[in-house]
Amino acid sequence: MSTQTVNPAHAAASRRAAETGHWSFVGLLRSEWIKFWSLRSTLWLLVCTAVAAVGVGALTAWVRHTIFQQVLEQATKHGATPTGAQLEATVPPGSGIELYNMPNAGLQIAVLVLGSLAVLFLSSEYATGMIRSTMSATPTRLPVFGAKALILAVIGYVLATVTGAITFLITLAIFSDMPEFNLSWNTGGVLQGVFTGGLFVAAVAIMGLSLAALLKSSAGGVTVLIALMFVLDFAGGFIKLIPGDFWKYVPDYFPGSAGGRFLAIGHVDGMLDPWIGGLVLLGWVLLLAVPALIVLKKRDV
Amino acid sequence: MIQAEGLRKHYGPKTAVDGISFTVQPGRVTGFLGPNGAGKSTTMRMIMGLDRPSAGHVTVNGKPFAQHKAPLREVGALLDAKAVHTGRSAYNHLRAIAATHDIPVSRVHEVMAMTGLTEVAKKRAGGFSLGMGQRLGIANALLGDPQTLILDEPVNGLDPEGVLWVRNLVRYLAGQGKTVFLSSHLMSEMAQTADHLLVIGRGQLIADMSVQNLIASVQQKKALVRTPQSAELAAALAAPGVSVTQSAHETLEVAGLDTRSIAQIALERQILLYELTPQEASLEQAYFELTRGAAEYQSDFSMATATHSQATGMPGQPQNYKN
Repeated sequence: MSTQTVNPAHAAASRRAAETGHWSFVGLLRSEWIKFWSLRSTLWLLVCTAVAAVGVGALTAWVRHTIFQQVLEQATKHGATPTGAQLEATVPPGSGIELYNMPNAGLQIAVLVLGSLAVLFLSSEYATGMIRSTMSATPTRLPVFGAKALILAVIGYVLATVTGAITFLITLAIFSDMPEFNLSWNTGGVLQGVFTGGLFVAAVAIMGLSLAALLKSSAGGVTVLIALMFVLDFAGGFIKLIPGDFWKYVPDYFPGSAGGRFLAIGHVDGMLDPWIGGLVLLGWVLLLAVPALIVLKKRDV
Repeated sequence: MIQAEGLRKHYGPKTAVDGISFTVQPGRVTGFLGPNGAGKSTTMRMIMGLDRPSAGHVTVNGKPFAQHKAPLREVGALLDAKAVHTGRSAYNHLRAIAATHDIPVSRVHEVMAMTGLTEVAKKRAGGFSLGMGQRLGIANALLGDPQTLILDEPVNGLDPEGVLWVRNLVRYLAGQGKTVFLSSHLMSEMAQTADHLLVIGRGQLIADMSVQNLIASVQQKKALVRTPQSAELAAALAAPGVSVTQSAHETLEVAGLDTRSIAQIALERQILLYELTPQEASLEQAYFELTRGAAEYQSDFSMATATHSQATGMPGQPQNYKN
């Protein structure tokens, strides 16, 4: 430290500068925005996520295209000309890999990364001690959660929507040689899928943020989030084998599968309707966010 | 101004702060002294609303900290040099904190210049030395040009120049009428920096007084005497409440008598003295004296007495030090 003496004139000027400031939620949003982008890893992570999501989506579309092409060749050999609807029927309904769902084919990657990023956005502040600076600047605490949630939701939504749109553009290009499907932006469920995909990612981001507030731990938060979103779905296959009707339906209400249904359109027998899937996902968000807010307010930082 | 009343904090069965009341006045530097685990940091965290008091309350400038419209302008705090994300640069950290209160970036540059951080502004805070981290923490505390400054161990890890700078800064700010509350383990530093002292031990307030009074209150009548007739003088001085020890050849240490009484007795007995020096207690001695009292109090008294003492304030010896 060089031997600065305290210069009264200088101090008075800075006092005036500081005096203009008041706490505001908009200011807090700017603060969290700066925090989000000022970690070197963030931008790279988001770029890689977008590339990976589009890549997986394009790959899925290409695999679909290859399968349909084989079916078409077989049918042509036998002198038949199947329609697009008949070809689509070879895919089990509600599987999430219908053509109209292609915008969200790579969504799970965005869910995984954005969810983990959301956990880290708060848990890393606990790990480094930054949380004490944050909460000293906003001692009412709850707005910090609100600002972080808003930023994560917006970034998650934009990321998922943009990657969804790009994925579908690639899908359109891949299927341009198959007039049977007449695939376009107007195909039922496409636009809805593009917009609900973003909501799904935003919801998972808020779940991740809530887990970070509850557990204060990066490893714990990410582990629980992955368990909720992916492991539960995997376990659901086994749970359905338990005798009794009850266990057959329980896995439908897990956040991963409910969220998956939220991206679909239309009624499928034995599955949640899309809007119910959306409500179930919202329920999961609230189930984690409400206790997180209570704990954040009551607990020592 | 910081006002605490009956402030108490326990973590499970462990009591960190045991019902303390104090006022930190503006316009002077108030030091907060106590051994490790005495409850200094916990008290400061409660002032900042980071820890919820188990009982009692604390206000800053008349309101609980969280109720202020511009918290950073009311209180700036350095509670922990490690209250920074290790992956973020010093500049971005300060910019993010400043943004909450719409504090202009020019102020960020100012506090960085004041704390000597300009050269490392773009470096990751994770790579900072303890001293650099401390400067960043102080810069963070100064951002809102707050009315009240709370610094927990601010000179910890600073080089001598930095220590001097912190001393000048807090004295200057107190001179501007601001409230400055700082804790330190360095008693010598406190003696030069603080006007007023709060001494805490085992979660209880042991002393709340000016630095001079604190030294005086603990100061015993003690003197160093050199005389060729040391055995004769020792016999002559012997009385209840007076202790005489021979510390070296022809040298006595006398406690319980002032120098004038010793000289009088020596004159009456025709004993030659060639040195008679009053021994002054340092702040350091005063501090050890006080905190040792707290430790003894804790181990010697039963739970029933301890409970009683919470109602009446402080029992026995510590009460003498309250003013």
